[in-house]
This record gives sequence, C-alpha cells and structure tokens, in this order.
Amino acid sequence: MKKLIIMLALMALAVAHLPATWADMGHHHHMLMDGRGMVMNANSDKLPQDCQALSETVDITIHAGHQHALAFNGKMFAFDKQQWDVKPCAKINITFINDDHIRHQLMIHGLPGYLYPEGMFHLELYGAGELKASLIVPSQKKTYLVHCELPQHMEKGMKAQLKVGGGDGDLPSIPGISAPVKADHYAIDWQQSTWLILLVCIMAGLLLPFIAITFIKLKRKQP
Amino acid sequence: MANKQLLLLALIIPVLLGLAWFLKPTATGTATLNPPGTRAITQDEVTSIEKPCSDEHPEWRSAQSIEGVPIAASLACEPDNPFEIAAAVKGTNNIAMATLMQTDLAQDALEMSDDLDNDGDPDIIHIKLEVVELNGFSPDGDYLINTFAIAPGIQPGLWAYAPKSRGMGVKNFNSRIANPLLRAPSPSIRVEQGDRVSITLENTHYLPHTLHLHGVDHPWQNSHGEDNDGAEEHPVFPGTQHTYEIQPRHAGTMLYHCHVQTAQHIMMGLGGLFIVEENRPNNWLQTFNIGAGQVRHPSVAVSQTYNQEYDLVYQSLDKKLSGIIQQANDPRLISQQMSRDYNMTESFENYFLLNGHSFPYTLRDGMIITAENENIKLRVANLQRSAVALHVHGHKVAITAYDGVDQPEGQQLTRDVVDIAPAQRVDLSLRTQDDGLHSYGPGLWMFHDHVPTGTTSDGMEPGGNMAILAYQSLVDGQGMPKMHEDMLGELFSPDYYAKKLPVWRSGDFKQLLGDAGKMPPTYWQIIIFGLLIGLALALLMFIMMATSRKRP
Repeated sequence: MKKLIIMLALMALAVAHLPATWADMGHHHHMLMDGRGMVMNANSDKLPQDCQALSETVDITIHAGHQHALAFNGKMFAFDKQQWDVKPCAKINITFINDDHIRHQLMIHGLPGYLYPEGMFHLELYGAGELKASLIVPSQKKTYLVHCELPQHMEKGMKAQLKVGGGDGDLPSIPGISAPVKADHYAIDWQQSTWLILLVCIMAGLLLPFIAITFIKLKRKQP
Repeated sequence: MANKQLLLLALIIPVLLGLAWFLKPTATGTATLNPPGTRAITQDEVTSIEKPCSDEHPEWRSAQSIEGVPIAASLACEPDNPFEIAAAVKGTNNIAMATLMQTDLAQDALEMSDDLDNDGDPDIIHIKLEVVELNGFSPDGDYLINTFAIAPGIQPGLWAYAPKSRGMGVKNFNSRIANPLLRAPSPSIRVEQGDRVSITLENTHYLPHTLHLHGVDHPWQNSHGEDNDGAEEHPVFPGTQHTYEIQPRHAGTMLYHCHVQTAQHIMMGLGGLFIVEENRPNNWLQTFNIGAGQVRHPSVAVSQTYNQEYDLVYQSLDKKLSGIIQQANDPRLISQQMSRDYNMTESFENYFLLNGHSFPYTLRDGMIITAENENIKLRVANLQRSAVALHVHGHKVAITAYDGVDQPEGQQLTRDVVDIAPAQRVDLSLRTQDDGLHSYGPGLWMFHDHVPTGTTSDGMEPGGNMAILAYQSLVDGQGMPKMHEDMLGELFSPDYYAKKLPVWRSGDFKQLLGDAGKMPPTYWQIIIFGLLIGLALALLMFIMMATSRKRP
C-alpha cells in the first residue's frame, strides 16, 4: 500500500512537472506512466452526460495471470473473474493485480469518447504488482469488453465482460460464459461400447422391415 | 415379354455403353487448327495493387540527432524509427518521456548505467525481451490478429522476440496490423565487449521458450546458480521470466535463439543476430536494431573502417508449420500438432525472408543503398533450415569473419557466392569502387540466395529473399528503385502471389505469354453421350421391372 501511495504521488508529480510533455502526446491523453506500469483515461469524478448522480460505488479487484487459466480447459492466460455487473452510472474502483512476472493489461472498450479518449480505459502492469484506478460508466444498458491486448492473451483466455444495467448480451469466447465464434475441433472419444451401440443399431435397423412384415402377415392371418 | 426378347434388350445395354465410352466428355481437348485465344484479365479478378511505398514517415529518413544521439540517414522506403534508435542507444531509462512516447517501448525495456571502465559509455546493461506471435488465431472470427505480411497477401504464422513494449499490440484501434515493434526478424542486439549484460526473457507467449546465446561468451550458470545456456531442459514457461547474464570477452557476430523444441521454434522465427562490439571509448551502441537492416548508429570500431553497416538475417518458413498456430486456439492442440503430429524430417521450406520480408517487400526495408566508393560492413546470419549461397550481382565481397572470429587479412577470400550453413554468420566487406572486381559500377544490382528455392515464395518467382543493392542515383525520393515503376505496379499484388495471374500479363507480350483461354465444349458429343447413357439406364430399369413382374 505504501508503495502504491508513493507511486501515485510520483505520478501526480510527473503530471505536475511535465505539462508540455503530456501535451505532446497526441492520442495518449490522460496517461500516467512509470517504470512499473501505466494508467490511461482513469476517471474518478466526471459524470457521464446521461447521469444525474452516481448510482453506486463498487470496489472490484481483478487478478490476472496464467494460474487463473487453470479453471478453464484449453486456455493459457485469464483473469480470476469473467464478468462484473454494475448499475448504470456506477463508479468502479478497480484494483488490478498482476500475478505473473510478465506484462498484463486490463482494457475496457466502448466507453464514451468525450470522457475516455478512443473509448478506452487502460491499465497496464509491466510485471507482478498492483495498480488502482477508477472509472464511471454511463447509464446505457451495455456489455463492455474487458481484456488484455498483448498478442494472443485475449485469444488464449484473458477476456471478460463488464455488464452495466444487466448488459446487452454476452460477448463471444469468454471463458466459462460464451462459446467462441470460431471453435476448436477435438477428437471424439470412441470406445468399444460406442462401436457396439452403433453395430447393434445397424442390425436392429436391418431387422426392422422383416419384423414389420411378419407382424403385418400375422395380423392378416388372424381374422 | 419373352425371355429371349429381354435377353436381346440386355445385350443392347453394353453396346450403348460402349458407344458412350467413345464419346465421353473430357476436361481437356486437343486443339487442331485454332488453339483458344489468350484469356483477358478482367478488372474484378485483380482485387488490389498495393502502393509500392506507403511513405508513412518521410521525416524519419534524414540524418538527425535525438537525445544527443547522431542517427545516420536512411534512404529506405521504411526507415527505422529514429526515436527507437535513440532509446536503443541511450537506454529507455535515460531519455525524456517525450522521446519514449514516440516509440512502442516499455519504460523498463532497456536500462543502461555505470561506466565501470571510465571510458565514457555505460557498462551495465539490462535488456528485456518478450515473445510475440504474429498472424495468430482469433476465436472471435475468421481473421488473423497482430498481422505482419511478409509479401503481398502472405501472412504465415510467425513468432519473434521483441523488446519489451507497452500499450497496444496493434497499430491502432481500427487495425489488426501488429505495431511496428512486433515484427520479423527478432531484433539484432548489440552489446559491448566486457559489458555486464543481463537479458531477461519475459515469456508473454503461451508456449515455453528460452534464450540461447549461440557463440556468445557466456558462463553455463548465472550468478544465482541457474541455467544460463537457455537449453531445452530449462524452459521459461508462459507468464514467467528468467534472466541470463553475460560479460562477453570476445567480440564478433553471434546469434541468439530459442532452444525449446529447437527445430520448430527457430523455424517459427525465434532467432536473431547478437553482436558483441569491440570495447572502445565513448562507444554508445544501438542495442536494438528493429527488423535488422541498416544500423543507423554504428559502433566506434565499425565507423572507423566502414561507411555503412547492415544486418542481414535470412530465415525460411514452412507453411505447414506456420499454419498450425492459425488453425487451432487451444495451446494443448497447438503443442501436440507442432511437437508430435508435425514431422520436421518431412518438411519443406516455402517462404524465404531477408530481414522479415520476401520480395517485393524487401524493397521497402531490405535494400542496401550506397554511394560510389563506399566500404560497407554486412553481418549475415543464416537462420534458415537450409544453406544460403549469398550472391551479389555486379560485385565481389570479401569475407572478413566467420562465426564471429576475424579472418586474418592475408587469408580473407573475395567471392561472388558466399556459402553460409544453418546458424553460421559471416562478416562481409562490400566495396562499391568501380574497379571491375569489387564493383562493376553503379546500378540496381540484385542480391539473393542462389539456392534456387531462395528467390521464390511458395514457388512463385520473383519472391523469397531477393533484394537490391542500389546506388543512390538510381533510387527515388521514397527509397524505391527507379525505372521499375511498371514492374513494381504489378508485383505488389496479392493476386500474383496467390498464383491467380500470369507472370507476363501486360505490355507487348501479354497476348503471346498470357493465360491460354479455354476450348468451347463439343456439344454434339455431349448431347449424344447424354442420350446414350439415358437410354441404357432406361433399358436397365425396364428389364428389371419386367423380370420382377414375372415372379410368381
């Protein structure tokens, strides 16, 4: 915690001392960066235009790392949770914890551009560690993509969704929640008994007309 | 009907079938007097022709100084980002935030400090590398992600080491193209003889990898008593990191590569040049040369002897191996297919790359651009599966070092084909003095691997590692060869490399060497054939019905 406070203080200092530098950054507005990670487009106080007041303040802790992929077959990286539900106009205080010793990101896409340039909220940790940042979501019922954008991290499982007001459906290929658009193919486990069932059914199918004919003949003879 | 009549009818069937056999329709026909005409290429057949040079950053070409680092001019179509060069020379810890923001590097990608020998340059170097996948699978749709085209329309699955980066792995929000730091080949890395160098491999990929410093003076274990050789039995697993430590005593052109499932992982792209430069005063080195090619801030020793320096990395790809990561997403499936189902001893090389590109993309960043009377140092590495026979048109080059060991001056060979075995390196001196031996004069001289497959892309020529040694007067303002506009306009075509277009499809000879058209079908033959087969079938059915009715 102490480290974090120092870090945040350093970030604040950096912003205070480098106005010209930050202004030069073009699309990298609202960015804080140090040797351990970066925060882009955090927003703890600006209400979206469609919100009169904050509906709730939610604290969310999100872990990222390869060990969280153990909960899902066929993945390599994951967050510890895959879905968060908040009310419209909620303020979310995110604690992002990287349990790996490589870079991970937490990006939320599709936010209003006038508060979040490029519609994006972005936390990045250069290695194991922790970052805190807040955002305020608009009132619209919407499902937001939450992911790590490092090559193949989202594809291999580091993908989740943030549902505001119940959201507007599920995004594809979220581990444990939704099927991929383009799914993998696996071998079917054909046992001896599977073959046996198939064989018996073929034989039964062959016999079926004969049984039917015999049955009809017997019926005709009866009167 | 009587049995005799039925038998007669039955005998007619083979006769009909026999006649039909002689008139059977065929896929090809023999032209007699008039072969078909040349097929015209319609507009909708040609999907797109790319601009030979997108000229995205003309301001990067001029000689300039950033953060006090002098950066030589680069006339190429795609010059290296000079801000990245400044960061690679000073270290990401010693530059202004504004400079760093002009790059995709992480703030801790390259830390340099402590002038241990008091000679004016930093001697403690900490390099951080990640492993990236290019042209990878996406479960979210039928497309590839973090794309890197090696030639028009060609996007094989690839891996590369990359300096630790930050932010988006794609170029921008609306793009699936990899950001420019993520590319083939893995960057050339330069350190100084005697420097205390740590290289941390942060494995951001979903399979285990290592870093093996091939030919570089390194102890077998690091200071923690852990693996320092990057061997197969010490893999760095996904999400973890490992630090290799060296203090190289010998200078020369070496390699680094992954040593896990080595055959496949090198052929997927996990290898690059590792150069130990001679220790000299004030020797600030360009630690990373992204995408290899021209070194815009050469070392003190190289600058003393040479006018320019280029890193040439030759790679080959097997489309079957590269395709594995594009056909499955589950790392277990990929691992099985790559390590067990795929058989390296039954593999082919389909693509040949010079500095990550195949012709014509080699013209964008793989050319050697020179003035007359220059002496150019080439550091050449063969990371292919097969040998390279490097040939420079119009020139003979001197081999000054093999595998990072200098060849004594009196014993240096001057040749026009230089053979380089897999994993070998040669240092070459290319002189552009028009003396009839070293150079035959200014020109746009091709240089390429003379092994016949080397200049093809999946069998299509011109492709592969073909590139051009261009004299400045023959290069236009965008770094493209002059006088070749027509050819360039045609070759920057995905359709050509998809084998949809004839090689000679324009100009005077398009009629004579274009695609032959098709022959019209012989309709009388097809009609009679159809009638005969129909009749035979009808008779067969008639006979069957007649016989079945006769049964009691």
